[in-house]
Amino acid sequence: MKKIVKIGSLILLFTLSSLCVQAQMEREKATIVEPVTTFSTPGLMAQGTTRQLAAGNLNVTIMHSFGIATRNTVRNFFGFDNVQNVRLGMDVGLTDRWSVGIGRSSQFNVVDLRSKLALLQQKTDGSMPLSLSLKGDLGVITQENNRPIEDDISTMVSAIFARKVNDSISLQLSPIYGYFSRAPQGGHNNLFSVGLGSEIRLSNRYSLIVEYFPVIGNKNNGTQNAFTLGLNIETGGHVFQLFFTSTEWHLEQYVLASNSEQFWAGDFRFGFNVNRIFDLW
Amino acid sequence: MSIKHRHITLIFLIAIGILFLPIASEAQSFKTESGHVEFESSVPLHSFTGTSNKLVGRISLADSTVDFYLDLHTLDTGIDKRDNDMLETLNAKKYPFAEFYGKLISDFNPDTTSQQQVTVKGKFTLHNVSKKVSIDGTFQKSAEGLTVKASWIINMKDYNIRPPGILFYRVSEEINISINALLPKEN
Repeated sequence: MKKIVKIGSLILLFTLSSLCVQAQMEREKATIVEPVTTFSTPGLMAQGTTRQLAAGNLNVTIMHSFGIATRNTVRNFFGFDNVQNVRLGMDVGLTDRWSVGIGRSSQFNVVDLRSKLALLQQKTDGSMPLSLSLKGDLGVITQENNRPIEDDISTMVSAIFARKVNDSISLQLSPIYGYFSRAPQGGHNNLFSVGLGSEIRLSNRYSLIVEYFPVIGNKNNGTQNAFTLGLNIETGGHVFQLFFTSTEWHLEQYVLASNSEQFWAGDFRFGFNVNRIFDLW
Repeated sequence: MSIKHRHITLIFLIAIGILFLPIASEAQSFKTESGHVEFESSVPLHSFTGTSNKLVGRISLADSTVDFYLDLHTLDTGIDKRDNDMLETLNAKKYPFAEFYGKLISDFNPDTTSQQQVTVKGKFTLHNVSKKVSIDGTFQKSAEGLTVKASWIINMKDYNIRPPGILFYRVSEEINISINALLPKEN
């Protein structure tokens, strides 16, 4: 009889104690499927990337290139005495997939309007293996040159295919078509290239960037394939891009049309871009 | 029936009756996986917010437990790069959750639908550091469930977090956190 009473009391105690302690929920990680961040910035040195600005983000860019570092090195202080080209620009994300921008280059005072649209975005869960963006740029020379404005127009369209291969390496391939309303003497109105680019992450803050513009088919006289090797430095709110490059241009169509320097022959210049993103809305 | 037999029968009846009580108390449990959480942080001349709608929470009125957690990867500050910096600062890869587990220590009348001031006490854990906290907020019961609102301030230093930044341009150590969640009755 006593045993039965004990068992009954134990059941009572156990039940009461189980009521008093509510176990903590098991912590479960959320399933997040989002676009892969293929590149640190919306552009390498001159080539656009598949990195899109989020809706409401404003990216202010200041792009510089200096004189050839290896000519009159000391007298020109590694080319820093000759500022070859500066492009001030801003791009705004209208949606998470579509951005528009405007910029002005000091070379020929080219003012350009541009836009980039993400058609495909590589996803974190692997459901989309690559990113594809379309980019267009319309440039107008505003420097006085006694020519009608229709002779000063250039355009560029590119399809940018990119994939972040692993945590360290991103690769891109971008067929680029450039058009100039007035070709230079001995030059061509239509130019084509298959741009290659890569970002290799060294740490959370540093990454190497490489871009190459092999011009395919028609080439303007003296044109060399432009090459850039640079370093991205990501700080709290900025991404600084320091690079050595053969071209002084930051617009794709002009890189195809007028790069006369050979990087691997030692004809390279120093340059740097500053990217600062602001949250507008 | 003898008195002894009556006692035994009574104990068993109570035990069996209490065994069914958890089912009754389930009706007093509320749970959500889509609560809203927001934090506000500031840097010199500028402030920004991060939000998530993936706050998981469970409140049991039967035993007054309050249990909330958030996967930090679901926070969105509006700028990808800032999100990545934040996750890196919080070492979210290793410590993915911010969590609170504690008890409701103030009175709450579940029979009214008016908003009531409440206080919960427990441990808030972030960056693998747990601190005892007391948080004031409101509970409001309705046909849809239990609405919880609360806000409090944490200091990153208390959680061994070094505010990100460069030289004097650093994120403020104090972070304002607020939550707003409707917890439907748990099935």
